[in-house]
Amino acid sequence: MKLEIVCAGVGGRGVLLASTILIETAISNGHHALAADEYGMSQRGGSVVSLVKIGDFKSPLIGKENADILLAFEESEFYRNLGFLKKGGLAIVNTREDVLPAEIDNMLSTRNISYLPVKADNVAAEKNMLQASNMALLGFFSYLAVEPYNAQTIRQTIRERTRGKFLEKNLEVFDLGYAIAQDGNIRKP
Amino acid sequence: MTKDVTTEVMIGNYAIARGLVEAGLELAAAYPGTPSSEIIPGIIEFNRREKGNIHAEWSVNERCALEAAFGAASAGKKAACMMKQVGLNVAFPPLLKARRKRLKGALVIVSCDDPGPQSSQTEQDTRLLATLFGIPVFDPASPKEASDVAYTALKYSAEKHIPVILRSTHRVSHAREAVQLYSPGVRPVLPMENVSAPNVMPDTSYVPAKLGIIASGMSYSIVSDVISELGLETLVPVYKVIKMPQVKSSIPGQRLNGLEQQDENLEFDKFINNMDRILVIEETDSVLEALIDNGNKVYGRLNGYVPDAGELTYDIVRDVVERISADLEIRVSNKFMPDPLIDESLKGVQFPPRPPKLCAGCAHRASFFAMRQAFPKAIFPGDIGCYTLGISQGAVDTCLDMGSSVTMASGFYDTINQDGKSIPILASVGDSTFFHACLPPLYDAVKKQKRFVLVIMDNGTTAMTGMQPTPQTGIMADGTHGGQVLMENIIEGFGVAFLRILDPFDISHMINTIKEAEAYISKNNNGPAIIIARRECLLFSKEKYTGMFDRVAFEEECIGCKRCIKLLDCPAMFFIDEKHKISVDEGLCAECGTCSIACGIIRPEKKA
Repeated sequence: MKLEIVCAGVGGRGVLLASTILIETAISNGHHALAADEYGMSQRGGSVVSLVKIGDFKSPLIGKENADILLAFEESEFYRNLGFLKKGGLAIVNTREDVLPAEIDNMLSTRNISYLPVKADNVAAEKNMLQASNMALLGFFSYLAVEPYNAQTIRQTIRERTRGKFLEKNLEVFDLGYAIAQDGNIRKP
Repeated sequence: MTKDVTTEVMIGNYAIARGLVEAGLELAAAYPGTPSSEIIPGIIEFNRREKGNIHAEWSVNERCALEAAFGAASAGKKAACMMKQVGLNVAFPPLLKARRKRLKGALVIVSCDDPGPQSSQTEQDTRLLATLFGIPVFDPASPKEASDVAYTALKYSAEKHIPVILRSTHRVSHAREAVQLYSPGVRPVLPMENVSAPNVMPDTSYVPAKLGIIASGMSYSIVSDVISELGLETLVPVYKVIKMPQVKSSIPGQRLNGLEQQDENLEFDKFINNMDRILVIEETDSVLEALIDNGNKVYGRLNGYVPDAGELTYDIVRDVVERISADLEIRVSNKFMPDPLIDESLKGVQFPPRPPKLCAGCAHRASFFAMRQAFPKAIFPGDIGCYTLGISQGAVDTCLDMGSSVTMASGFYDTINQDGKSIPILASVGDSTFFHACLPPLYDAVKKQKRFVLVIMDNGTTAMTGMQPTPQTGIMADGTHGGQVLMENIIEGFGVAFLRILDPFDISHMINTIKEAEAYISKNNNGPAIIIARRECLLFSKEKYTGMFDRVAFEEECIGCKRCIKLLDCPAMFFIDEKHKISVDEGLCAECGTCSIACGIIRPEKKA
């Protein structure tokens, strides 16, 4: 099995925690995994990209049009990083917009890329956890059950990785993200 | 091998720390610098877990780190020091002498390179310097390998009684992978440690081929993935270099230390001989390429096949391999064809560029604003740190190396003075850099009465590299208390006649003080004048000072002049074209109030 995932967002929004959960989930389920983080000089609000590769890879770096999955924790970072996605790939995007620009929409369908928007900020706000939109996105993603990820395996890592009072709140946001995918009857790729 | 082997996901720098601790490290000293900064914290962490007795410290600069570690190694300890690639320049004097000394103990110098560069003033290849001066240098290709290599390097140094260098790059230092943890002393050694056997690891067999690739470090890992993507595994063998091969012909000026007969390069030579052509992929200079004694055979930087600067990204490596495969008529079964539709579709989409900026609420922003307001036409020598970003506020003109703000200000002063002119010179430097490199330059400037104003932006920490304590804090690397050295005492001791300490968020006071300093210099024909702008880093102490001002209601009163954007370059401020007004990102704004002072119109109330 080989899987290449790009996590993209801005500093302070939990991109690195999300990619940590992804790499650790893969490893605890018996896979080899590597991750690389790109972040600029110390800066809140700057672009952050974290790459996760699972399977028989030697480098953690991802080439253009090679990624299976793009998790965008911020809409602008979806546009900045969509060149990573391969044909037939999957994009899950935290966005407030209901429609994509027509050119992008055309390109994605020509390239057979599944685009799944999530209002993750709203989901997190519903649980009074504004900073936890990353959990909403991960919950949504977990519903798609892309091997080795499913709600159970990711939840387990969140349990190991988050402590104290935020753990249960994080899991609530995660579950709500999952429920939204389930209710929306999202097509599993 | 051993019962209690566990694995843990960690970054490459922690893996290096782990390898050193398992190999019996006793002393470590470092100056923080991206991408090397996490090694000392890693050593402290693993020492705590192993209940060991390692002494680990932050040094004031890299030279101090190397000399402290060399002292310990000379006295029989297993020692290591860490730095970034440009830090190795600072440690150059002791390095050149130390390489020829027989050690009673062991010494590993870890130097982390920054291809790109992403967070340095220049790219630089530690392997080049090490090879030039005959110092053995190891180059791991992944976090997992970094732990093995660090372990091996310390053992190798102890066995051979010579200093060795471990070079990492940011992609290895900051990548994450599951690394095996062993009990100290029992980590299985790499094949290269057996010095009579190959000192490099062949990845595939040596079947003669049209093209063979030689690579080291992260470049090797990328090449492997590219070869696999393109379906070239059976056609193009890849050779991984972990320890750099020995120089055959003598380089002018090079003297090997005479204490060690370096390992033979038999396997390396054999691989080269078996291939029709060789492609060398390495970061960042042409070191392996220069060592291969058969120029016509080699594709690399020297004949333009590999870019001669910048990081060798996955895309670049894929492109190079494809191009050369095409030249040699090697069939690429899975050719990469970029889809023009992607860029085409993005043409009509607008999303905010996110260049590096000082954080919203950073006190440096207020300092630069004040400097610029006081003397818009001044010369602004800058220095190395977060505050190099003052360039976007028009208050930093130069960035040469650590401490050059002071020395370049001296040079500018003499230049202007010699030509009979008078232009204000406002230099800026941070607190950690001040201690690292500014003391001899400042003493020199005082002695020669150089007339410039130096603003020391004292935020109480080494912010850019991850909040390591400075000498002023009296806090040691492991969090314990030690001696405290205050910069104002040093400055007074040097005999600087004009010294003021202020809070940069008191902006009008800072502007007046800068003018006062310049007036003092002109009137008394004496300099330099120093202003310490003291305010803790926002990230370091954010609870303590957010919300000093009420949030400014820009949306209502803004006239759309963009003055605040130009003067402050704050990441929390956006200009909304449709409304022709500024908008504030409430999630990022720290309510520092600097924008309200930059704005000529809107005046918020200070919070009670």
